Amino acid sequence: MKLTPAQIDQLYTFTKQHYVEYYDLQTELVDHLANAIELEWESNPTLSFETLLNKEFKKFGVFGFMDVVEEKQKAMNKKYNNWVWNHFKAFFKLPKIIGTLLSVLLLFHMMKSITISHEVASLLTLIILISLWAGLIRMNKKRIKTAKEEGKKWLLKDIIYGYSSMAGMSYLPFQIVLHFENHPNQIMLFFMSLFIVSMLIVEYIILFEIPSKAQEYLEKTYPEYKVSNQ
Amino acid sequence: MPRNDNKMKNSQLYKGSLNTIIMKLLEENGKMYGYEITQKVKAITLGELQITEGALYPALHKLEAEGLLDVEVEKVDNRLRKYYKLTESGTKETLNRLAELEDFIRNMQSLVNPKLEF
Repeated sequence: MKLTPAQIDQLYTFTKQHYVEYYDLQTELVDHLANAIELEWESNPTLSFETLLNKEFKKFGVFGFMDVVEEKQKAMNKKYNNWVWNHFKAFFKLPKIIGTLLSVLLLFHMMKSITISHEVASLLTLIILISLWAGLIRMNKKRIKTAKEEGKKWLLKDIIYGYSSMAGMSYLPFQIVLHFENHPNQIMLFFMSLFIVSMLIVEYIILFEIPSKAQEYLEKTYPEYKVSNQ
Repeated sequence: MPRNDNKMKNSQLYKGSLNTIIMKLLEENGKMYGYEITQKVKAITLGELQITEGALYPALHKLEAEGLLDVEVEKVDNRLRKYYKLTESGTKETLNRLAELEDFIRNMQSLVNPKLEF
């Protein structure tokens, strides 16, 4: 006996009720539960859909789908961080490294010629962080709007459009700025320039490069993204 | 030796090998979906080893994030089904992990059952 479309919808609702808010994960779990129920029906055709659903759900353990959801989030964050890292590495390879090095040297010479280089570096870091936050908030608003229109949530889409990168992104730069010396020597100045340019690159990747490739990335990660939006 | 099936399926010994088991199955079968993997393991081990759902999906998602697995989606009956298959680097990694696992099994065997004539 096969499940009816109405029962499939019921399974989607069931996963939502058990804190699986993302469509990609819901789909996978719905198929899993449906397969299990259909197989059980072969040997116990008299049992009800609800009885079998509860039986299968129990197999996920006391925390239900929570472990699966949590681990999926970790895996997707890792995937996203890998993308950022790969994009970042490209700025230190030909041809982009030319622009990167020129920017670092330009900033280095500028900071060398002023006496308040420490203050300027801190200010620049702050400006970059604030503009990053502003950009993320703007993207996030747009994401919430489109998610409402689509009616489906995609974990990776949320991550790309500013959902999880905020908290982790801000702590480290602050710590580094606090360790900038008041009267830096030339080597220190060079590293400060490199750090500021690197932050700018990361901001550019997060706010522009990856979002501009979002469609491609999402379709690769979620083949169902295409199927379900048809 | 009497075996406690319930204990076996949760055994720490198996947890460390779950990724390798998944990769080996995918190597043999091409593409598979989650439920199929649980059933296959159950069938091969005659029900002695059961992969728990709560462990299987996190393992699959982790392998995917690491770039070892690729996903495909197909519409089957009236629902979407997500298939997993090995990527090129996944295929290479499977060989490494299998070799590692075989070494481990051999070493364990000689530790647990030392052959004195050697």
